Amino acid sequence: MKRRVNVIGVGMTKFAKPGASPEYYEMAKEAGTKALADAGIAYKDVQQAYVGYVYGDSTCGQRAVYELGLTGIPVVNVNNNCSTGSTALWLARQAIESGAAECVLALGFEKMEKGALGNKFDDREPPMGRHAQVMIDVQGMSAAPPAAQMFGGAGREYRFQHGTRKETFGKISEKARDHASRNPYALFGQKLSLAEIMASEEVFDPLTRFQCCPPTCGAGAAILCSDEFAKKHGISKPVYIAAQAMTTDYASSFDERSLIKMVGYDMTKEAARQVYEAAGIGPKDVQVVELHDCFTANELLTYEGLGLCPEGGAEKFIWDGDNTYGGKVVTNPSGGLLSKGHPLGATGLAQCTELVWQLRGTADARQVRGANIALQHNLGLGGACVVTLYRRD
Amino acid sequence: MSNPLRYDGKVVIVTGAGNGLGRQHALMFGARGAHVVVNDLGGNIHGGGKSSAAADKVVEEIKALGGQAVANYDSVEDGASIVKTAVDAFGTVDIVINNAGILRDTSFHKMSVDDWNLIVRVHLNGSFAVSHAAWPIMRDKGYGRIVMTTSAAGIYGNFGQANYSAAKLALVGLSNTLAQEGRSKNVHVNTIAPIAGSRLTETVLPPELIDALKPEYVSPLVGWLCHEDCKETGGLFEVGAGYHAKLRWERTRGHSFKIGRGFGPEEVAKNWAKVTDFKDGEYPTNINESMAPLLSNMSAKSLGGNEFIDLDEASKSEVTLESSYDQRDLALYALGVGAANNPLDDKELAYVNELKGDKFYALPTYAVMPPMNAMLALAKEGKQPVKGFNFGFERVLHGEQYTEIKLPLAPKGKLKSTFRMKAAYDKAPNAVVIMAVSTTDETGEEVAYNEITTFVRGAGGWGGDRGPSQDVNVPPAREPDAVVEEKTDPNQALLYRLSGDWNPLHVDPAFAKAFGFDKPILHGLCTYGHVGRHVIKSFLNNDPRRFKSIKVRFAESVFPGETLVTRMWKESETRIIFETKVKERDKVVIKGAAVELYEQIPQRKAPTKAVAAAAAPAAASGPVSADVFSAIGKHLLANKGLGDQIKTVFQFQLKSPDSSWYLDLKSGNGEVQQGNAAAADVTLELSEDDFIAMSTGKADPNKLYFGGKMKVSGNVMASQKLGFLQKLDPKLLAEAVAARAGSAPAAAPAAAASGPNSADIFAAIGKHLATNKGLGDQIKTLFQFKLTGPDSAWHLDLKSGDGAVKQGDAASPDVTLELSEDDFIAMSTGKADPNKLYFGGKMKVSGNVMASQKLGFLQKLDPKLLEEIVKARGAGGAAAPKAAAAAAPAAAKPGRGGEIFAALQQRLGSDPKAVNGLKGQTIRFNLKSPDASWLVDLSGPAPKVEQGAAGEANAVFGIADEDLVSLVKGEAQVRDLYQRGKLRVDGDVRLAQELSVLSKLI
Repeated sequence: MKRRVNVIGVGMTKFAKPGASPEYYEMAKEAGTKALADAGIAYKDVQQAYVGYVYGDSTCGQRAVYELGLTGIPVVNVNNNCSTGSTALWLARQAIESGAAECVLALGFEKMEKGALGNKFDDREPPMGRHAQVMIDVQGMSAAPPAAQMFGGAGREYRFQHGTRKETFGKISEKARDHASRNPYALFGQKLSLAEIMASEEVFDPLTRFQCCPPTCGAGAAILCSDEFAKKHGISKPVYIAAQAMTTDYASSFDERSLIKMVGYDMTKEAARQVYEAAGIGPKDVQVVELHDCFTANELLTYEGLGLCPEGGAEKFIWDGDNTYGGKVVTNPSGGLLSKGHPLGATGLAQCTELVWQLRGTADARQVRGANIALQHNLGLGGACVVTLYRRD
Repeated sequence: MSNPLRYDGKVVIVTGAGNGLGRQHALMFGARGAHVVVNDLGGNIHGGGKSSAAADKVVEEIKALGGQAVANYDSVEDGASIVKTAVDAFGTVDIVINNAGILRDTSFHKMSVDDWNLIVRVHLNGSFAVSHAAWPIMRDKGYGRIVMTTSAAGIYGNFGQANYSAAKLALVGLSNTLAQEGRSKNVHVNTIAPIAGSRLTETVLPPELIDALKPEYVSPLVGWLCHEDCKETGGLFEVGAGYHAKLRWERTRGHSFKIGRGFGPEEVAKNWAKVTDFKDGEYPTNINESMAPLLSNMSAKSLGGNEFIDLDEASKSEVTLESSYDQRDLALYALGVGAANNPLDDKELAYVNELKGDKFYALPTYAVMPPMNAMLALAKEGKQPVKGFNFGFERVLHGEQYTEIKLPLAPKGKLKSTFRMKAAYDKAPNAVVIMAVSTTDETGEEVAYNEITTFVRGAGGWGGDRGPSQDVNVPPAREPDAVVEEKTDPNQALLYRLSGDWNPLHVDPAFAKAFGFDKPILHGLCTYGHVGRHVIKSFLNNDPRRFKSIKVRFAESVFPGETLVTRMWKESETRIIFETKVKERDKVVIKGAAVELYEQIPQRKAPTKAVAAAAAPAAASGPVSADVFSAIGKHLLANKGLGDQIKTVFQFQLKSPDSSWYLDLKSGNGEVQQGNAAAADVTLELSEDDFIAMSTGKADPNKLYFGGKMKVSGNVMASQKLGFLQKLDPKLLAEAVAARAGSAPAAAPAAAASGPNSADIFAAIGKHLATNKGLGDQIKTLFQFKLTGPDSAWHLDLKSGDGAVKQGDAASPDVTLELSEDDFIAMSTGKADPNKLYFGGKMKVSGNVMASQKLGFLQKLDPKLLEEIVKARGAGGAAAPKAAAAAAPAAAKPGRGGEIFAALQQRLGSDPKAVNGLKGQTIRFNLKSPDASWLVDLSGPAPKVEQGAAGEANAVFGIADEDLVSLVKGEAQVRDLYQRGKLRVDGDVRLAQELSVLSKLI
């Protein structure tokens, strides 16, 4: 019998640019302390911890949670590229749901370097070698940042199929900046006009610089628990996880010579399908979404992958303003990866934090009115995709 | 208790000593030899009633313990009587414990004036009265201890206790001041906030808590504070249930608004986070410390400013930005400002034809471009070149410009431009800022100076200077001495912007509309370049080298295509005043303008400087390990006794090049020796480079160790004592380097060893495979190398086993790498990065591209292997001379665009169906290599195909001539070219699918 899993505490740091953040364990301490205080419990009540990060030697997870206490609990280090944070969340959810634990901590942090992502080990097969080969076969390789080439290439493919204007992609960034201007935790607080976004330097056609998420430092944390635990600690009406799914690459990522597929479109689509089915609701029931907008092109693809709009309908969805306040669903109220920032290990938990605030009605200037169903989408190349549906009754 | 604290002969007054805390204090003092005045009114806890019973009982108890005590039944408000009792009974008073207290708890809205007054009288007035009566006695005798009793309710507040908490906290203030007044007379005053089970708390606390909060747990602190050995004064303590802690004030770092700059509630609200942030808080302990930040803010008066312009910051700002330019930039700029409109005018060709050599001139107005472009690049990031300028680019209008040439610009160069604020004027509600930019060349000599005056919308109003306002360079009333009339091209702004000003206002019609212009306007600095040329043409015979400076005010916008009329008046041999109008609208666009001329072409001030600068770096080669050890020797002499302190012998084994040194710091002053020590405590092995980095503070010894770059054997912990190395005076090292350079000219190692060739490297790879068995099993790839200049082919079979290297071509390689001999050598010796070679187009990779990532091991080839092979080759025979790779540069290929579009026109004209999905559309092709532009207009009745035509297009295709040919021939697909970025599409990308109209045209 599966048990219900509640998210009773969340917390995050203000995201910072590389070089401007404290040490990773200090950021982790801040996020963890905030989440514990938010839940109103002590660290000694936590029975397990799942800690995500991408850049760091082994057992940084322990170093980080030791700041919260030395209670000898199991600590698992989690590394799943850009979906690292939500993978930690996935493991934590599994631990509660299965009855293995009553209260666990999911924590994620990242201290990133300046510049584009790259490989750290140059003496062995790179994990994304097969993905890169698809891209090389389809469009060759240039000196642009590899991730921009992959997602930008997917954008090209989409444009060619649907005749999409370049400005449509830029429009997503305009929205992201607008949302982020209301988020004190975001890296970029300043709004940008569409003209400024389009005039910024081209990274990889059709992506300009302001359409790529920045390297970021930060941490996020969530406390998950069973109904019994919540009751014992007097927590009423918590946000809970109505459904969650993780997918990894299907053969389509490599076999179809399609960059849209290679960057994980089918992973998104299938994870979303599983979640909607398990929760017994559809995309129309969702009022607020945090989704993986590492590049504008991916946000556009994800609208369709999550079923927020019909396939081929993203351009209309965007220009009609259906992706923001006053539209059909508010996407990335936090500013998303584009504007809030993307510390790889922390992103999944920062998304969770934002959605919990939204469902509690405490998201201040970003509050989506009457939100009671929220969707989270976190994707990593290599690959893994985690989709989570939250509710509050 | 080995050495109990005693109060023998001391006279103690304890108020409210009939019960609870007071009783406990009295018993403690009495039991330890003090003479105690037990004061208690004998009332109830609310201040009602009176009896002598309570005090008498405690006096009896003290006497029973063998102590001396008298009772006093007065109210504490009558402090003088209580003190009189002490003096009468025991002759003096040494210690006062202000303990008496009552409660009148009620919420504030129900509190009566009596409730308030009674509490203040007992707690505050009472403590005052007793202390005040005892004070002169204590001062006179130079000894006294006073304890005030406050409460957590006073410190933190407590519901229902407004009167009590106010009176209680007042005692802290009283105590703070008495502590200061009494300090010099050895009168100490402290305050305690006890929590104990007493008559005042038993009504509110549960019995089990009352038990744990015994008065016995409070009195010891009172005892210590009142002992003659205790130096504490002015302290505030929380005490109870065994817990003792001291409190102090904490203050945030706060935020200081500059004096002289207005601020209101809005600014306070804006800085609230800073005002209330306790991070890095401070702990003021007296009025002086309290005042310090106020005083320091008062002494740093503001120059003024507001949220847009911070004059304090801006006046200190100095930002240097780098830029470079070459002949192409100069020629493009010249075209952008309308030069060489007549391509047969040899004089103006001097600005665009770099083949003219020393007759190729930079237009002087170009000198504004390096700083302007650097500034525009910053603007893209939303930054300003002057710190403290916090306004956005969208508020800015270029108002005036002054450019002064210090030296005629060279055909190319690397420049540094340093930005400062020259002035900022408050033209409320707007502001005018003037930036002064000095630009220097590689030698550090100033080549140009600019003043950029900008008008900043809505940024004024800080009450500053309005600045000068009189007109300058007013044209005389006579007829001009020269007039130049010149029509600008309709696409002038599009051409000019390629010199760096990307502002969409000049290119994007929609953007310009949003700013209130019918169409994009010409850049002010484009007009600037035009009018500068007009003066040069009229008065310098088109030789710009005597051009000294130009100053203009931008009065109106110019639209591309309009005619500029510049009227010029020669005021002296070196000064020309001018004014420019737009002919079509008869509007003055440039005014207040003048050009100054040099009498002679300016010359470089310090021609020797460049030589000196060039010579300098050659002499100062970096330190070697011998220098470091020599510096350590000197350090030991200057810091005597390091051996006695460190007591360790360090052995260093350095590699590449190899050397051994030891540092004997076993005793005495210590010494440095080359070679091996007889008995080293610890041995450190690391490379020469890492050693130098470590000794010059550039590398951290721990990181070297943990990173595997330094091996430490023997007493590893002793290596921690090497910290002093990082404190070596850099001067010592510099001296050692200089001494070496002076005594022996650096040997030229390059001369001895001729470099390796690719055959050497493959031989070394062979040896590497022999010593690192099993690489084939690990890497599982067959690499084919095709080298050029001289040409050779090799393959590296790492498919299985140990692997092998062979000359020639492999039957079925997994991946083939084509690159030059030189690049291959550079890559294999770690001097070139394979990725960079690949992306730079210097290495072509075919087959399984990802497999080339496994070549990392090449960069780990042991340099010694290679050295040995090169040596062996040198001994065995002459090195093969390198083939001279002197291929003539390929002549530019002619384009085939003309042919294709002529054929297209014919097809469209003869076959109406060919138009197909393009009907009604206009598409533009921008061809590259060679460049050309074609417009295909299918919107009218007859299809039009025109080269270089202007006009809007539904889609713009960017493609190289060569790729267009492949597309037309059917050798390449539209989708594939697009996905690879070889076909760029702006506008309606769907029209790309209609490009089948081009198929088989040639």
